[in-house]
Amino acid sequence: MLEFKGLTKQFNDTVAVKPATFTIPDGQMVGVIGRSGAGKSTLLRMINRLNEPSGGQMLFQGRDVTALKGRALRQWRNECAMVFQQFNLVGRLNVLTNVMSGRLFHHGFASSMMGIFTAKERAFAIRALDRLGMAHVALQQTDTLSGGQMQRVAIARALVQEPRIMLADEPIASLDPMNAKVVMDALRAINREDGLTVMCNLHTLDTARHYCDRIIGMQDGIIVFDGTPKELTDRAAREIYGAEAEEAFSEAMTSTTLRPQPAAQPEARRVVN
Amino acid sequence: MASITTNGPDNGADRDPVSVFERHRAQMIRDRMVVNVTLGLLFVAFLAWSVWISRFTPDRLATGIPRIFEYFGTVMPALQWDVLFDARNEAGRFPAGSIGYWYNDFWKYLRLIWETILMALTATILGTGLAVVLSFLAARNCTPYPWVGAAARRFLEFCRGVPEILFALILVFAVGIGPLAGVLAITIHATGALGKLFSEVNENASMRPVDGIKAVGGSWFEQMRYGILPQVLPNFTSYALWRFEINVRASAVVGFVGAGGIGAELSHTISFYSDDRVTAVLLLVVLTVTIIDLLSERARHALIGKESLK
Repeated sequence: MLEFKGLTKQFNDTVAVKPATFTIPDGQMVGVIGRSGAGKSTLLRMINRLNEPSGGQMLFQGRDVTALKGRALRQWRNECAMVFQQFNLVGRLNVLTNVMSGRLFHHGFASSMMGIFTAKERAFAIRALDRLGMAHVALQQTDTLSGGQMQRVAIARALVQEPRIMLADEPIASLDPMNAKVVMDALRAINREDGLTVMCNLHTLDTARHYCDRIIGMQDGIIVFDGTPKELTDRAAREIYGAEAEEAFSEAMTSTTLRPQPAAQPEARRVVN
Repeated sequence: MASITTNGPDNGADRDPVSVFERHRAQMIRDRMVVNVTLGLLFVAFLAWSVWISRFTPDRLATGIPRIFEYFGTVMPALQWDVLFDARNEAGRFPAGSIGYWYNDFWKYLRLIWETILMALTATILGTGLAVVLSFLAARNCTPYPWVGAAARRFLEFCRGVPEILFALILVFAVGIGPLAGVLAITIHATGALGKLFSEVNENASMRPVDGIKAVGGSWFEQMRYGILPQVLPNFTSYALWRFEINVRASAVVGFVGAGGIGAELSHTISFYSDDRVTAVLLLVVLTVTIIDLLSERARHALIGKESLK
């Protein structure tokens, strides 16, 4: 259980996230939606402390993770894996090394500096890649991959961390609809099969509705909506997207191809497989 | 449509966009002119000052330049075609005028040149290693604490600000005459120069992979090793090779103060003999440096070429 107690973030004189208090039970798939600049990214990056909170507390299984330092902080980051919009892989290393870098926390100084990984770690990484259908590119240099492939490698890297929580910061914003579906399906599968808590920033409303158990809407740093996809009516969504809703919010603009379209779905599967 | 080319009825000349732009442009040209003229005058003033201090006058050039040729005249070997390739005679000596006579000490020179190259190689390897570590501390985007970054940058400035020959002088005093002093002196200077270049390369690297490694729970060392190093390694290698060229030249010079290598021999022949032995050594040094420059340039280009394909 991840508890937020008045967690807040201030950059100079602008408040990016106003004190946020809510709780995420284990195994939930949460989507955070809102316009760009609403504070979604900051909220997510505060969880693994890539952004330092300016105030408030965050507890994971009762342990205060806002106060962690040094090795304890790195251990917490190892427990809550993150997937980024721009994948944040090391382009010049091969795919396998990128995935194995998810094990770095468990390494000593010498073995990590010399890049020595065990056969067990290699096997683990290959299994994770295989699960995402990427084992065949394991020895390819990462920057030769397409965006969708890179994101799947990034998810594999997150998986070998054996995390308790998976954070995804706009995981599909740089992908075409087809790859977006593959990546979201993978996150969903991880949530369902492994029971991981998944917290995912999304800018597409449909995706959030389709994949998440719970949707959190943010506007100007405030959580303005927290409920199930069913409760997220078009009116509620318009509220999240603010005053300029009529112009900014249009189902067609924010959609991936994820809206149930009986004719399109089987074809999509065929192309992916 | 007509309003694009003609002024509207209530648009006076001072509000017409074209005349506003033209006035602005004229102002900018005037400002630029003032700056250029000032800089030009300053340049001329400093040039005059420097000419005056160095007494760089035509009559001194006229008397001085021929003396350079005169000196080279005295150190030119007196080669004679008929005995040029002759071997040692029965007394075990090369006849005067032969190449063997000119390069009587060839093997000694060669040994010293080899020593010079090895000095440069050792100094380059040590300097590169130190520079890699320091460059991560010095780069503004990588440094673990800002004060560490500032300290590392000051240290690198000191290392490259002091000329090698000065370090060599001090180190000869400290560790004694010989190559060790030279290697240390060149290492210090190379560390300073490479550390600066490396840290600039680091500052241009993408921070995204670093965020990625940070997010898996990687330490600062792991963030640098996996996030930055793979991105900058080709550039590092290219700079290190280039530094090797410079270090070969430097290690030929530090010998003048007793810090090992061919420099000591060169200094010795110049001050004691000033005969054809000077050209014998000089020619070998120039040849060595040229060959190493060419090889290293090839290697660097191969490296860059390989990079640009990706």
